[in-house]
Amino acid sequence: MASANRIERIASLIDGLNGAIGRGAAWLALAIVLVQFAVVILRYVLGIGSIWLQESILYAHAALFLLAAAWTLQAGGHVRVDVFYSDATPRTKAMIDLAGALLLLLPFTAVLLWFAWPYAARSWAILEHSRETSGLPIVYLLKTLIPLFAVMMALQGIAQAIRALDVLRRP
Amino acid sequence: MSGAEGLAVLLVVAVCAALMAGYPVALTLGGVSFAFAIIGTLSGIMDFGLLGALPQRIFGVMNNEVLLAIPLFIFMGVMLERSRIAEDLLDTMGRLFGAVRGGLGISVVIVGTLLAAAKGVVGATTVTMGLITLPTMLRHGYNPRLAAGTVAATATLAQVFPPATVLVLLGDQLANAYQQAQLAEGNFAPAAVSVADLFAGAIVPGFALVTLYILYIIARAILRPADAPAIPPDPAAPRGFAMARRLGIVLVAPVALILAVLGSILGGLATPTEAASVGAFGAILLAARRIGLRCPWPIDAAIVALFAMLPLRQFGPVAILPLIAVAVIGAGVALVRVHRDGTLGQVMVKTTQVTSMIFVILIGATMFSLVFRGLGGDDLVYRTLANLPGGTAGAILAVMLAMFLLGFVMDAFEIIFVVVPIVAPVLLRMPGVDPVWLGVLMAVNLQTSYMHPPLGPTLFFLRGVAPPEITTRHIYVGVIPFVLIQLAALVILWFVPGLATALPHALYGR
Repeated sequence: MASANRIERIASLIDGLNGAIGRGAAWLALAIVLVQFAVVILRYVLGIGSIWLQESILYAHAALFLLAAAWTLQAGGHVRVDVFYSDATPRTKAMIDLAGALLLLLPFTAVLLWFAWPYAARSWAILEHSRETSGLPIVYLLKTLIPLFAVMMALQGIAQAIRALDVLRRP
Repeated sequence: MSGAEGLAVLLVVAVCAALMAGYPVALTLGGVSFAFAIIGTLSGIMDFGLLGALPQRIFGVMNNEVLLAIPLFIFMGVMLERSRIAEDLLDTMGRLFGAVRGGLGISVVIVGTLLAAAKGVVGATTVTMGLITLPTMLRHGYNPRLAAGTVAATATLAQVFPPATVLVLLGDQLANAYQQAQLAEGNFAPAAVSVADLFAGAIVPGFALVTLYILYIIARAILRPADAPAIPPDPAAPRGFAMARRLGIVLVAPVALILAVLGSILGGLATPTEAASVGAFGAILLAARRIGLRCPWPIDAAIVALFAMLPLRQFGPVAILPLIAVAVIGAGVALVRVHRDGTLGQVMVKTTQVTSMIFVILIGATMFSLVFRGLGGDDLVYRTLANLPGGTAGAILAVMLAMFLLGFVMDAFEIIFVVVPIVAPVLLRMPGVDPVWLGVLMAVNLQTSYMHPPLGPTLFFLRGVAPPEITTRHIYVGVIPFVLIQLAALVILWFVPGLATALPHALYGR
């Protein structure tokens, strides 16, 4: 059972990693509120517009939903059609999760990574700058979030599969 | 039908079948669509390279300023709920109107509408309302069927009452579809439709629904007084001036906040995103004020300073900077309070997970649309809808029926992301179809499907949190009168499109 323990450790490691990143990303929710409100005050009270401030909110929002996605999956926050699922036995649920992770999640994240990797790489190659002259000069970092999202989701899918297998192996 | 289109139909069937298994919707959409892309590529029907558009589409979502309003609105709603401001509101309203027969029921409808408007997510609204209001109504002798029906129906208003999250997403999708439709018609300077248009369009139908619910409760209280009794006055309750003061604090502040947010969007003063940030920031201040009632002055000072900024801005930075300092200090105090209390952490986690859930569905649905188009599914939908008997009316009716049935198993978000991009460009090309009217019709339709027995999701949410003396039968039977109200409203909206289009027309001259 030593190997089973090691595999279980991998799942915990993935949970820990994605959980830490997700909880960190949750702070961006507060940042979005505060910075967007500051933008409103600047615009309506002081008459100042700032493109890079506005763009930084978009960056925070993109990072929020992409980096927290795997953690949300871990926490059961992605909606399911639970007409049958909610009443299923733990074994059936584990079977659905295992099949879903292997047949749906992993292939989908693989194809996303396949296309998103060169997409982000092209941006890195020219160190892409915002289309606005006074915008943020780090578009390549923003684009990197897409392959990162794919990798984190795939990892979480592996953790999900390990946990489901564990339920199924129990008598 | 060609082989490719046959595959497109099969894709839809396969997605629906796979969804029933219960794996997360976003990933089911993405995974099944990918499998069909492979089949299509291997059989030479589809070009696999089409999927290369995926990162660009996701990047488009990441840069969409309209969708930025989503986390802000969710933050505002969750903050108002977790800080128990919504609970206070119901309690006070109940005392105010409770002495009248049916009064408590009416308070539940009004507070529920505010809560629904603030949260914009049906499941969350149902859970909160079910937990807070059902026990209160039962304790005061309300008929369990009436109580359950009132809560279920009011919670679904989160789909239609602005600033509902659903309307933001629907407005964004309709804007794209409307542009496509006009380009296809050869109009290269297309008119735009915005989220604000849809908000304005939903106001009159939203208020009409609330009014009809209230009228029903009044009628019931008159015809069968035992179903909705008056609450005996509470001797410990504050009266006179004390009651007025309490009302001012718990009722006026949150209501004013929500109205200010809505008003500034409808009045064209601010974009939905800007207004939503004001709402979210205001919610933090109100929550902190409630937590630290013994020492409210730093927050009161900040609120006054914020209000004073607008008239004083003409005097330049000298007048404004002290006000900003006061506002920043007040905000700092507020943040420390909501953080120490644990509310902030909960609100951030909930906001983040709900936002992520919505956007990951959008990503899965993007994959689905790409493959569906790649297989020629959009041409098939266009031909089918254009050849239905009854012309435009027949096509819209067919789409509404399909959305209604999908509403039983899928979330409004999923339907909006999957169905609207496919059917809306077709419908909007037909003569006499107004995008705002179509959007409001879709929203009310989805709302109805949400509470329709036996599969309406709201009924399940409510079942999950209702006290044990409420049975499934109570909920199913209790919601029927409200479903009839909804269907009547849909029919009226169908024949009188002006209900949806008049206000945006008057406001924006569309």
